[in-house]
Formats: sequence, structure tokens, C-alpha cells
Amino acid sequence: MNDLWTSPFFGIALSILTFWIGVKIQTRLKSVLLNPLLIAILLIVLLLSICKIPYESYNEGGSVINMFLAPATACLAVSIYTRIQILKDNWLPILVGCTVGSLSSMGSVWLLCHLFGLDEAMTASLLPKSVTTPIAVEVCQSHQGIVPVTVIAVIFTGILGSILAPYLIRLFRIQDPITAGLSIGACSHAIGTSKALELGETEGAMSGLAIGVCGLVTVIVSMLL
Amino acid sequence: MKIIKQFGIIFAICWFSVVIEHFLPFSFPSSVIGMIVLLFCLLTGVLKVDHIREKSDFLLSNMAFFFIPAGVNVINYLDILKAHWLTLILICSLTTLITFAVTAYSVRLTMRLLKRERSARHE
Repeated sequence: MNDLWTSPFFGIALSILTFWIGVKIQTRLKSVLLNPLLIAILLIVLLLSICKIPYESYNEGGSVINMFLAPATACLAVSIYTRIQILKDNWLPILVGCTVGSLSSMGSVWLLCHLFGLDEAMTASLLPKSVTTPIAVEVCQSHQGIVPVTVIAVIFTGILGSILAPYLIRLFRIQDPITAGLSIGACSHAIGTSKALELGETEGAMSGLAIGVCGLVTVIVSMLL
Repeated sequence: MKIIKQFGIIFAICWFSVVIEHFLPFSFPSSVIGMIVLLFCLLTGVLKVDHIREKSDFLLSNMAFFFIPAGVNVINYLDILKAHWLTLILICSLTTLITFAVTAYSVRLTMRLLKRERSARHE
């Protein structure tokens, strides 16, 4: 019976089914809290625990899906390329904003981790939490962090950012769409970008750009650490 | 054949990035190298967006889906989560606020300084 689960088709089909359920729930209830990714992960974790299916069996299919993360990151180049004019006109504010933003993210994480007395591995796992998952995971691994902690922190941060974005824009009285988009992308990467796209086209484009620039800044800074 | 060709282009870039990563003297994620290589190809005209449009639309619009297996991996680390959930929530919330505010203010300040410099030059 157990070897039935080890077919890669099981993991892939289960992931697609649970993600589809997540999308359905979100469109039905229109709540940002009910993130499809979060729902899919919770459902799969629940099912695997209840049916006592080993993670390794699920991951036969999971690793196939995971393989697409690198091509997806590479394709961010396409979204940057299509907005190259905004990038050319505003390269200095974009560069300054993303650099200072990434530094403040890592700085505040480092400070809080020490304040709460977390160990080195936990700190290394949380440091890159504001950048997109594939970059965060690579940074975490190169500093002997715990990858799942990074993934949890990145996803949680993204969902939080997408929920808070409209309130934060009002709180800090941001009128310029470029500023709004960059701030959303800098603090909550791809999941925040999906919210920025709802706010406006320029917000979405800038948020997408911030994913790439902040990712690069974070990688460069983490190599120096 | 069109979609297979697009898959071929993207996967070739990804593999090329892994090769570059292997020969770099420092560690740098191959996925980010892939992003830079692709941007370079588009800017120099080696590739046109049309060459990879369907495939990149497919990957970008479904990005969240590809993170599922990475997230499910948490099942192996439930004890860490149980021990640290409150600290994790606190740290993530506070730093998200700080990062948003700092980014917004530094973009705004840079834009203002640039504007002032430009108008000073015009006078």
C-alpha cells in the first residue's frame, strides 16, 4: 500500500488539487487572509499527518514542482524588461530605496533575534525573510540556516505585507505609486506584489522590480557577512 | 513545438546559470544568475520577449504554486515552529513594518533631493 504514495503523480496531483481548493476558497470569501498557498500547505500537511504518509513519498512529486522555482525566478527578468523605461527614469530612487530597505530589513531582524535570544541558525534563517523564496532559501543555506524556518517566515511575511499594504500606504501618506510599489515589494516580495498589482499597474511593476533589486542587494550583503 | 521550444530556452538558461554558479569563486544563487542572464539576453536582443512569452506568463502568474513543496517541508520541523511561533510572528510583523516605512521614506527623500537639484540647475 505504502509504495502507491511514492509515485510522483501523487504529490503533483495533490499539490494542484489543494491549490485549486485554495484559489476557490479565496475567490468565494474574498479574504486576503485565506492565501491559496497557505491553504494548500496546511491541507497537505494535515492529510500527510492524518494518513501517516511519509513526507519523502509526497516529495517524489514535490521535487518536480520545486524544480520550477529557478525558471520562475529567471522569468522575473521579463517583467523587469517590460518596465525598463520606469527603471531608466528612476534608477537612483529605486536603487537607494531597495538598498536602504533591504539593509533595514536585515538589520531589524538581526537586532530582534538577538533581543529575543535566538541562536545563530535561527537568525540566519530569518535574515533573508523579506526577499523572494528561492533567493531567501539560497541565502539561508549558505549561512547554515534552517530552510523550512526561512520558507515559513518568507510566506508569513508576504501574506502579512499583502494584508497590511493598503493600510500602510494610508498610514505613511504615500501618494506616489512608484514609492508605494517599491515599499510593498521590498518588504513582502512576490505575495505582496500580487496585492500591489490590484492597487495599480505602476504599483505592480515597481513592486516586481523591487523583488529583483532587493534580492540582489540581500545576496550581495549576505555574501559580505 | 512552440511551448517546448520556450521550455527549452528557459531551461537552457537555468542550466547555463548552474554552470556559471559552479565556476564563480563566491556563492551566488543560480536562480538569480538566471534572472541576470535572461535580462542581459533581452536587453542585447539575443532573445525577444515573444520567444518566451507564454512560458514566462505561465511561470510568473502561477509563481505561488511552485512554493507548495517548499512549504510542506515544514512538516519535518513542526517542533521548531511549536517552540518559536510567538517570536516568529513578532519578528516578522515588526520587521515588515520597519522595512516598509524605511523604503518609503528613502525613496521619497531621494526623489525630493533629485527634484531640488534639477530645479536648481534650471535657475
